[in-house]
Amino acid sequence: MTDEHNTVTEADLHAFVDGFLDEERRRKIELWLKGHPEEAAEVRQWQAQAAALKAAFSNYAQPNANDGILLSTARPSSASSMPWRKTALIAASLMLFLSGAAAGIYGDRLLSQSAPIENAAALESLPGQSKTAFLVYASEKRHPVEVGADQEDHLVAWLGKRLDYKLVAPDLKALGFSLVGGRLLPVNGKAGAMLMYQDAAGQRLTVLLGKNPENGETSFRFESAGNLETFYWIDGTIGYAVTGEVSRAKLQEIAEECYRQFES
Amino acid sequence: MPHAPDQDSCAKGAVPPSADTFENQILSLVPSLRRYSRSLAKSDSDGEDLLQDCVEKVLVRRDQWRGINLRAWAFTIMTNLYRDRHRRFSQHPSVELDDTLGLTAEDTSGDPLEKTRLQQALNALSPDHRSVLMLIVIEGYGYQDVADMLAIPIGTVMSRLSRARRQMAAQLAENNIVTLRRPK
Repeated sequence: MTDEHNTVTEADLHAFVDGFLDEERRRKIELWLKGHPEEAAEVRQWQAQAAALKAAFSNYAQPNANDGILLSTARPSSASSMPWRKTALIAASLMLFLSGAAAGIYGDRLLSQSAPIENAAALESLPGQSKTAFLVYASEKRHPVEVGADQEDHLVAWLGKRLDYKLVAPDLKALGFSLVGGRLLPVNGKAGAMLMYQDAAGQRLTVLLGKNPENGETSFRFESAGNLETFYWIDGTIGYAVTGEVSRAKLQEIAEECYRQFES
Repeated sequence: MPHAPDQDSCAKGAVPPSADTFENQILSLVPSLRRYSRSLAKSDSDGEDLLQDCVEKVLVRRDQWRGINLRAWAFTIMTNLYRDRHRRFSQHPSVELDDTLGLTAEDTSGDPLEKTRLQQALNALSPDHRSVLMLIVIEGYGYQDVADMLAIPIGTVMSRLSRARRQMAAQLAENNIVTLRRPK
């Protein structure tokens, strides 16, 4: 390591990530990072983080129809203008809503604006809810399910109706798991479904399905907590989570099989 | 006292900006103030609230503006408001009903699961660390600019930036999540 290499400080690495270095310095840091894989990995993390933050917030830098009201109703002369400014804003939105609703054009947009918030809150807890459902029901000896596999047709028709979705119980026999049955349970505050499977040794796994308020599609996500493994994803209007006390590789196989058999 | 008015008022020389000019300047800053407020907030509605309070305060305090860099001045006010609100809300946690609300689909191209994770990691940052991170990464301010805006030494800016980045990285890694491509 040369002296020159020793002159790279952490501040340099931040400036490198933030694009504050001149070309010469930037190249020097780049070279230095090649010889310092640990720092290089951290810098890559910071770069990815910055890109994710920019992607998440850049779209907010937009004017809004109500911006004029923000200014016109806040008068410097009245320090206590806040209550009535907010009232004015609410009144303005209400007017927009009423006139829009009358014309039948704003209703959808207002609804679609509120949905994503609910959605994001709901998504957060999907793997968590799946783990809880597994822990509560998989260990249950007498009543692990409400409707057993002997009434599979009734089970999928009933749960599918509650989810407003053409539910099928995936056939996992090729992977050594057969259907135990299922139950109705709340997911994201709405009617959701849980399907339970078990293998010849009595090892169980659960598949949770919940309404996803907006159409979406995500990649597969894997989450690990203790011995419990969960795969989850969103496809169309449904969020899915598969939980079991099996290896990650095995659970992935199972999740992929479920994904194939579930209709989006 | 050095006089370095913003571009708009420059043409008018030493004449103080009229009410209309000032308000129009603020209006043109609202989009970037909205982005900054949202990057500090826990939800869209929280972000709009903070934005409204900020615009209100900027207008009320317009006499205190020294005619230098209105944008930076407004951002400083926003940062202080955010810190005050955070302190107030953490003393009355019941107010934080929307704590779990995440990013909305303003950016519909992104993966909603990933956005939720990002929002959670951000919510775990202290206000001081979060505001420094956002001013630099999202708003593009230099380290010295941030030091001036927040009236802190540049060394403090660097240590907050460093801490924010490391905490975010650790938090995002902690969840032990592996993203896989979907099977065909």
